[in-house]
Amino acid sequence: MRGQIVVTGLGVISPIGIGVSEFWKAALDGRSGVSAIAGFDPFPMDGYRSKVAAQIHGFSPERYLDNVQAERVDRYAQFALVAAKEALADSGLQLANENARRVGVIVGAGMGGMVMGEREITQLYQSLRPHRVHPNFIPVITLNSASGIVAMAHGAKGPNYTISTACSSSAHALGQAMQCIREGRADVVITVGADASITPLVFAGFCSLRALSTKYNEQPERASRPFDRLRDGFVMGEGAGALVLESSAHAKKRKARIYAEVAGYAATSEAYHMVIPREDGEEIAATMRLAMADAGITPGQIDYINAHATSTSIGDAVETKAIRQVFRSRAEKIAISATKSLVGHTLGAAGAIGGIATVLAIHTGQIHPTANYEDPDPACALRGITASVQERKVRAALLNAFGFGSNNAAVVIKRYVA
Amino acid sequence: MSERDVTQKILAALADYLKRDRATIRPDHHLRHDLGLDSMAVIELLYKIEEAFDIQIPDQDLVGLSTVASVATYVEQRLSPGKRSRSGKRDRPVKGKKK
Repeated sequence: MRGQIVVTGLGVISPIGIGVSEFWKAALDGRSGVSAIAGFDPFPMDGYRSKVAAQIHGFSPERYLDNVQAERVDRYAQFALVAAKEALADSGLQLANENARRVGVIVGAGMGGMVMGEREITQLYQSLRPHRVHPNFIPVITLNSASGIVAMAHGAKGPNYTISTACSSSAHALGQAMQCIREGRADVVITVGADASITPLVFAGFCSLRALSTKYNEQPERASRPFDRLRDGFVMGEGAGALVLESSAHAKKRKARIYAEVAGYAATSEAYHMVIPREDGEEIAATMRLAMADAGITPGQIDYINAHATSTSIGDAVETKAIRQVFRSRAEKIAISATKSLVGHTLGAAGAIGGIATVLAIHTGQIHPTANYEDPDPACALRGITASVQERKVRAALLNAFGFGSNNAAVVIKRYVA
Repeated sequence: MSERDVTQKILAALADYLKRDRATIRPDHHLRHDLGLDSMAVIELLYKIEEAFDIQIPDQDLVGLSTVASVATYVEQRLSPGKRSRSGKRDRPVKGKKK
């Protein structure tokens, strides 16, 4: 029998809480982390169509990190460090006692070091002084700076890489981490998703793409409303999630607490359009089926779906269509929730944060509400979507994530049975 | 600028965007169904139109912009805000195709 891969540690930094216990409490309360953007000094917000985001306010890395290297990486990588540190502590792993080459780090990041990236580019074009570009510019903006710094912080010398598939990045990171252990290339993989790119240029880019909510600038906490009839686009978020994955044999040997098992994964491309999903939902349906096949389970065993559900008009409707195709009458019986209703769309961190919500649903038997689900859109109406907490014993769950570039991922997470 | 001038300018922008002969594009053409623009292409086209006429088009207004004529009418109203709409109710949404 193929070895099992289990989750033994969790860490999160999100707009509704830093640390898993704060995050989960706010999530069960259905609290929105969206607020008005105070401004992009020196840009006035007037020029932006959307004026809301799910930001992490007042974050100072030194409060959470004693490593001097933290000051030399961008905000997204600092988030990754904070989440990874918590997840490792939560797992009880003592890395000093581990074979360092058997401990990997796999990070999903969509945008990377955009804070410094934008600042340096702006300064160069304004000053025309190339010799004043910061010496740390290249290492900071390189997209694997987070996977690098997390490994350095903990001495993890095993497989180390970054996956960048836009909004599905860290769902793929989870799947790749599972495969990495399954193939015997590592015993432990610190799996992280991180992004922090609510910056003047990136935010303007998403505004121009007309992907963001613009109707709720005066009521920010109502802006992210997946599956609701009045949704009008996603809300940008930022944060990081980390999950310690290890082989069940390794976890049992050290008597670790096991939250859940990561049991299956599928990665596909729609080969269709850079930003628009196929409207028939067939590609998303195929991805979910492949992930369940990889896990060796049937649709009848899925009790919960952590939906990608970004709160865009087309995206939520297509995902619902795909769920109906795969699960047929059972689609109405599955609990479904949208973590983005709480923390906005954290891009590269979304899969990991959704993954944590999924693991906690299995572990605690509670499924967080979908905030602002007030007026069900007939195109997305499924009985399992609720604005309140659902108490449910979850045997197996699907984590969906879809990214620009016609990219889909699905991960099966299930209750661990030895 | 008259509505006719606006229409001509929009037709020119569309012909340029679609790389096709301007004479083959008519005001009653539907951006999606007749000209084959998907929602992203419509957004790109409106980006050009915003620049050409120096206006900003809010997301909420996109829903009514389905035909060449509806875009022209909209732009003309935006350029002379005092004028009342002649097109009446909004047309089919550009994203359409709801099953």
